[in-house]
Amino acid sequence: MRSLASIVARLVLWASAAAVLFPILWVVLTAFKPAEISQALPPVWDFQPTLDNFRNVLVGATYTSQSFGVLIVHSFVVTFASTLLGLLVAVPAAYALARLRFRGKHGAASWVLSTIMFPPVVSVIPVFIIASRLGLTDTWPVLVVPYAAFGLPMMIWMLRSSIKQIPFEIEEAAMMDGCSRSEILRHIVLPLLTPGVVSASLLGGMMSWNEFLFALTLTRSAVKTAPVGISEFTNMYGTQWGSLTAAATVTVAPILVITVILRRRVVEGLTFGAVK
Amino acid sequence: MTAHGATGELKAPARGLRLSRDAALGWLLMSPALLLLATMAIAPAIYLVYVSFRHENLLGPGSAYVGLQNYARVLSDAGAWSDALSTLQFVVLSVAIEMALGLGLALLLNRRLPETNLLTALFILPLGVAPVVSALVFRVLLDPAYGWIDYYLQSWGLIAEPIDWLGNPVTAWVAVIGLDVWQWTPFVTLILLAALSGVPSEPKEAAILDGAGPLALFWHITLPFLRPFLAIAAVLRVIEAFKTFGSIFVLTGGGPGASTEVVNLTLYRIALQDFDIGAAAALGLVFLAFLSIITSQLVKALGRNTDILED
Amino acid sequence: MIDNLGAYLSRRNFLALGASLAGAAAFAPRPAFAAAAAKPASLNMLYATSEADSDAIKAALPDFKAAFGFDVNLETMPYNALQQKVFAELASSSPYYDAMIVDTPWMPALTNKIEPITDMTLDSELSGDLDIKDFIAKVFFDTAVFKRDASNQHFPATDTVDPAAIKAAGFEIFGLPIQANVLTLAYRKDLFDDPAHQQAYKAKTGKDLAPPADWDEFAAVAAYFTDPSKRRWGTTLMAGAGDWATDDFKTLLAGFGGDGHMIDDKFETVFDSPEGVAALTYYADLIDTRKVTPPGTTSASWDNVATSFADGLTAMSMNYHDLSLIPTVKGSVAYAEIPRGKSVGPHFGTWMLSVNSFSKNKEWAYRAIKWFTSAATQTKALAHQLHPTRASVYAAAAADPALSAKFGNFYDVLGKSLAVGVGRPRLTNYGDVDRAIWVAVNNVARGAAKPEDALKKAAGEVRELLKQAGYKAI
Repeated sequence: MRSLASIVARLVLWASAAAVLFPILWVVLTAFKPAEISQALPPVWDFQPTLDNFRNVLVGATYTSQSFGVLIVHSFVVTFASTLLGLLVAVPAAYALARLRFRGKHGAASWVLSTIMFPPVVSVIPVFIIASRLGLTDTWPVLVVPYAAFGLPMMIWMLRSSIKQIPFEIEEAAMMDGCSRSEILRHIVLPLLTPGVVSASLLGGMMSWNEFLFALTLTRSAVKTAPVGISEFTNMYGTQWGSLTAAATVTVAPILVITVILRRRVVEGLTFGAVK
Repeated sequence: MTAHGATGELKAPARGLRLSRDAALGWLLMSPALLLLATMAIAPAIYLVYVSFRHENLLGPGSAYVGLQNYARVLSDAGAWSDALSTLQFVVLSVAIEMALGLGLALLLNRRLPETNLLTALFILPLGVAPVVSALVFRVLLDPAYGWIDYYLQSWGLIAEPIDWLGNPVTAWVAVIGLDVWQWTPFVTLILLAALSGVPSEPKEAAILDGAGPLALFWHITLPFLRPFLAIAAVLRVIEAFKTFGSIFVLTGGGPGASTEVVNLTLYRIALQDFDIGAAAALGLVFLAFLSIITSQLVKALGRNTDILED
Repeated sequence: MIDNLGAYLSRRNFLALGASLAGAAAFAPRPAFAAAAAKPASLNMLYATSEADSDAIKAALPDFKAAFGFDVNLETMPYNALQQKVFAELASSSPYYDAMIVDTPWMPALTNKIEPITDMTLDSELSGDLDIKDFIAKVFFDTAVFKRDASNQHFPATDTVDPAAIKAAGFEIFGLPIQANVLTLAYRKDLFDDPAHQQAYKAKTGKDLAPPADWDEFAAVAAYFTDPSKRRWGTTLMAGAGDWATDDFKTLLAGFGGDGHMIDDKFETVFDSPEGVAALTYYADLIDTRKVTPPGTTSASWDNVATSFADGLTAMSMNYHDLSLIPTVKGSVAYAEIPRGKSVGPHFGTWMLSVNSFSKNKEWAYRAIKWFTSAATQTKALAHQLHPTRASVYAAAAADPALSAKFGNFYDVLGKSLAVGVGRPRLTNYGDVDRAIWVAVNNVARGAAKPEDALKKAAGEVRELLKQAGYKAI
């Protein structure tokens, strides 16, 4: 009986995967099609795959201002930095909210959550003006700090709930053994927190990777990121489908790779053998 | 020896001394996060509150104090309430579907099958496509004249006439909600996968030994452990869904007519096209107030032990 | 009494002295520019993407370097992003971009942040080679000439551009036009030249098959070519919810005898007139009753219609640039002016290059935009499909057989259409007004509202918007 359920489950999974991935498959397929036939109907299936779109996009032969390869690098830097900053700051905060009791905790927690309730389309203007006055436009911090801040509420709640999932007996045992709180945090809690950390990083990283509005407004060319670059392929006159899909494929590929690598860490079960 | 509860809070009588030490440590640990958020939130907030009482022309002369005029304008605008209703409808439907599908997907992907690494990554992929790109792709696939979806549906005999997805309000909403579900279900899935990894195996094994079936197992063992994470996913998704702008802008532009006009589209127009920062700030603050109320009600409704803000 | 006389005389002298000083000032030499300004290491220019033909500008960059000795750092962005960026940079008084491209509807809000170049155009040293009279006057006045503190006013257009006259009337020049867009009709030459179609059309209607000269013919030709079983329709229309629907409507409004500006200089709405109702009724008739447009028209925008035409789905299309067909569609494209009704007024809008008020290199930025909009540069840019803004360049285009081979009669039609084009009303909140109108047009096009009701509703909203923006009906 177990294996039948298993087979059904796998069938359902693969069928849904195919349906869900259809738009992405379309993007990848179109990226390898010669640009002129990308919009043809009936869809052209019999074509000579070409790398022209990728070459145009990465080397900058299209009418955009910078080569897309450079923008991907910028995106990597910004995403990595903001995710790391977010984690560094979120882990202690999550621990405090999970294990400690102090007055004002509820207020602080509500305030943290409220910082993401204001619409970015409005807050971007004062941020831009302030950044401009401080001379920070088109620098790394001007994106890294906001992105870390945007992801912080999510990271803090994820990590807080993950910490609460860890039975307190483990920490208690360590405290009885004389370990300090920070030692506990580093050597006991953190390793057990891996699935939460990885999930929070993946989610925060993807939000930063795809953020468009702040990147568009706060950067010019030195720190311009991939989403801003991709938007150049579509405009009033139409969309350059060959280039757009090639750029989109290049942007999505690292995510696929990273998610495959990290997935094991996400679903790793907690072992509580340490307690016993 | 101090007595701790299951999640680590102290019981009396050791409280008094420990609490003050906890407070110092607590604020210390929270301070970097609070500082980071403060840099992004405080200065813009002060500016926006100030400016919401003014007609602020950032591009020329003519800025003046106008009192509550901005607020009156945004609250009395005829379209404002229908926009609010559209936004609410969008959020409720999208998030409900995302939560259900996300949970199902997370449960299915939690098994240790050989291909689940790859499958998980594949299912997460829609989240990795920039919203504007997804909206563009959906738009071109749904075009009745040259899009693939109508073409294949017709070729396979499932429909007689091409459906003008974006040309009538009902199917336009289906497209908008469909796009959001496609894009954000992985968000819920990823959170719940992390949650499932924390479900301890002993209670489960004990229950199986007692003869519990898979449904009972899920309901009594797994679900209680999932509840905090379900709450996180629901609250975060609700907040983000209220702020959705880019995908709807590209997919329908608020059309057909004004049927898919959500509040953020109006805000975008006022803030970044008209550059009327005063009116935009007023509407934004009203939006913030509503969202705060809705979120706090949601948290209350999700019940105890969901651990978002409470102990 | 002598004291009083003395005082009186002093005052008279004082007044006389003042008058002569003023008179002298009127004849004083204009401020000398530029000889003093040092060459910058480079200039930063913000530009659009293919809406303003960035390919042509990119191709011209090496020539610029050769002529000036320094680089222009070009940054390109598509429309919405560009508008946001231009506004944000100017709102924060940033000197980063020396030159920026500006679209006509943005100017009313920006007259205090864009540098007026009128004085520079009058400076003989700086503008000896400007040849300002070569610019198409109608385009120039609609795009570049504004009154700084009353940006809604129009300068009474004349046949040629005269900076001195502009200045005397209290207006300023805010940039030099670079890409002129106007609605033109594209059609499948192969279908129209086909003897079988010509005979069938003549048999059906008694008239010769040709690009339609008026709106009745337009409907007839579109109906003739519509055959859904063959996946072919008569024409495209941009009836989706967006700025493009307003542009379609204002063109028809002008064609049916109304005022294509939609809002007149007294800030009264003139689009809810009988002509407006007639225009919108005709539009809805084409889409809903005769069904001569492909499915999806009521959600179509610029790029949808371009793709539909390119895929061979329609026999005609109205758009703002030259169109091409995908390789699998064997056909050819030719152009004509849009049909004429009681009058004609294709929607037009032009991009111009401007100097940032906060730039540290204003004179060199001016030189740069002068170079990019010069006859020589624009002529070279024709190969990249730039829509020129100078009459001499249109003449050059007409004389160039290679261009005709590549683009057919596009440039000829473009030039003729620009001469009768109608622009947008000059409002700082045109975006909101635009939206009120496109919602009405879209609702009528999909049969969700009647033309008269929808226009009345939109007119009410627009009047409210005008009031909010401070435009009082005079």
